[in-house]
Amino acid sequence: MVATQNNARRLVGVDANAERLGLAPGLTLADARARHPALVTVEADPAAQALALERLADASSRYTPLVALDGADGLMLDVSGVAHLFGGEDGLIEEARAAAALARFGRAACAPAGLEGKAFARLFHDMPVAALRLAPALAAELSRAGLRRIGDLAMRPRAPIAARFGADLIARLDELHGASRPSISPRFAAPDFLAERRFASPIQHLEAVEATLKRLADDLVVLLERRCKGARKLELALFRVDGAAWRLRIAASRPLNEARAISRLFQERLRYGEPIDPGFGIDLMRLSCLLAEDCEPSQHAFERAFEETQAKNLADLIDRLGARLGPSRVTRQILVDAHLPERSFLSRPAAKGPPPTGALETAERPLKLFERPEPIEALAEVPDGPPLRFRWRRVLREVAAIEGPERIAPPWWRGPGGPTRDYFRAEDSFGRRYWLYREGLYGETARPRWFLHGVFG
Amino acid sequence: MSFLDRAERISHLRRAVGAIEGDRPRARLPLTRALDARLGGGLAGDGLHEIVPAASADAPAAFGFTLALAARFLARSGLGALLAVEDFALSQEGVPFGPGLVAQGLDLSRVVFVRAPDAGALFQTLEDALRSGALAVVVGEVWRLAKYDLGVSRRLTLAARAGSTPALLTLPTAQGARLSTAAQTRFEIAAAPSAREAPAGRARPLPGATAFSARIVKTRSGDADPARDIRLIWRAEEQRFDEPTISIPVAAAAADRSRQESA
Repeated sequence: MVATQNNARRLVGVDANAERLGLAPGLTLADARARHPALVTVEADPAAQALALERLADASSRYTPLVALDGADGLMLDVSGVAHLFGGEDGLIEEARAAAALARFGRAACAPAGLEGKAFARLFHDMPVAALRLAPALAAELSRAGLRRIGDLAMRPRAPIAARFGADLIARLDELHGASRPSISPRFAAPDFLAERRFASPIQHLEAVEATLKRLADDLVVLLERRCKGARKLELALFRVDGAAWRLRIAASRPLNEARAISRLFQERLRYGEPIDPGFGIDLMRLSCLLAEDCEPSQHAFERAFEETQAKNLADLIDRLGARLGPSRVTRQILVDAHLPERSFLSRPAAKGPPPTGALETAERPLKLFERPEPIEALAEVPDGPPLRFRWRRVLREVAAIEGPERIAPPWWRGPGGPTRDYFRAEDSFGRRYWLYREGLYGETARPRWFLHGVFG
Repeated sequence: MSFLDRAERISHLRRAVGAIEGDRPRARLPLTRALDARLGGGLAGDGLHEIVPAASADAPAAFGFTLALAARFLARSGLGALLAVEDFALSQEGVPFGPGLVAQGLDLSRVVFVRAPDAGALFQTLEDALRSGALAVVVGEVWRLAKYDLGVSRRLTLAARAGSTPALLTLPTAQGARLSTAAQTRFEIAAAPSAREAPAGRARPLPGATAFSARIVKTRSGDADPARDIRLIWRAEEQRFDEPTISIPVAAAAADRSRQESA
């Protein structure tokens, strides 16, 4: 792969064949061509690479919940405590290789277990300092000082090095030796509760996925009930044999601790959400609870009053519709104390719970508001007076009764926001009611325009 | 067949149908005397009711009448309402406007809005909402009439009965009036000139309270009268329709009043 770096065409990635020929990233394209004229090059596509890396990160989260992107071309997996599940770190490496994980400098990416002290130091002795993941400028400075290998650095007293090259370098060295641990900011939050199933033979049918989902939900509910918790946010991860992974997330508007409710929410997503292609089969399913809240055990449900049952039913309905249509399609409206009509209400997902009930005083407002006010031709008696008749959607309407103007100016304290509007409530001869406005006062604009902003019921 | 025979037979059939369909007059919502007499005592609290505009330009009026009915259902229960609209209707006819809903007499904090991507999703949403039994009323606004038929309306009716929740469905055009569906009631609504006020010194009067002209095109529980226009005035603050000032028997008024108080 080729990209332009520092005004030169350089290799940024090589495949196994090229590596055998002695080509390495960093070489200029001209040099590489001089050595191997038959070189096949491809333009680097950072966006696609990032995407591929993210996909790889998703796939690697089957090994450990703590997965983080490491720079632009690396992944960091925290395997402490999970390595034995895969037959030790070597076994894990084998698996990871099989899944095409990156080992950046072509060396063992993992220290053999049980290696201590000097032996460990020897392992890194010959590696270039760049392996410490230093800034290129710092690496260049080090090599100018003759410090090319990690061993060169590690053998020298620490204080002068820290004084000359900064404390960062020492910190990197310590990380290497395991004396300090870098904080890992994982790509996925470690779940509070988790249930998973691996399949010896991958499953290919959605019916089987749904059946497993029910069993996972049962397992998870047992864990939740033990702590008197209910799940507010849930995630179902499906891992395909070839490394593709799907994550379905569900937010519930009340803490859920019933297996049926949980599995039903995911079923909606599986059936109506983006299609999942099982391909060669799914070999791991994991149901995790990302956010848990205190919740009374469901055995007490029968003690609750009738109204609470109905509130629960409503919450379940909202969750189900939200899972099927998307939470942004199931909303409640909250009135906001703002004068501009289009700003006077907020839509927020209904799953966030009922809005405050404090009702604001509202004037006569239309039942329906056009998102984009529709321009009309209006004829007024006097230039800044109410309209006599107007034409909307090609029909001329006589104004029989009218109320206004209600003058609404955009908030001047937020900078210029357009001309002042004069709103009128007009009723035509048939009794149909419209909400019109004239944009701009005479003097403010040369030729004010008329709009229809809404209709009354 | 004599007239008496026929009347008897019809009332017998009506009782039989009522027994099959499990008609429960207790769940009815009184509207106004003029309408209730035709509807057989009010709007059934567990049925599907269609609201059709008399002309396409009356669609906002039909929506307003639907919301007025919803406000009445909301006022007599502590539960919420669900308002489902198709995406395309939002871009063509405008979005339901919260402050306007409050002005129409609805408690906005109890309304859940759903935007459905297509007609299929809309009907599925309505059906689920009705079946849950967690709502005081479920309102739907159909944009594509082609997707609405006897089967869909039958499913909605069954769902409404299962959850004992009323369903109000606004159909987009006047053609809706000719559809054959399983709905219990069908109103045809047109806008009507409001009771305008003309203060001195103004060239033109001020618009008054919202007025509708309603026709009962179809009802399963009473007598439809598609020829007669009933003028209704909506009092949003009190969530009721104005009673027309006509002379009425005293006893009926007392019964009516007690029903309103219990409502």
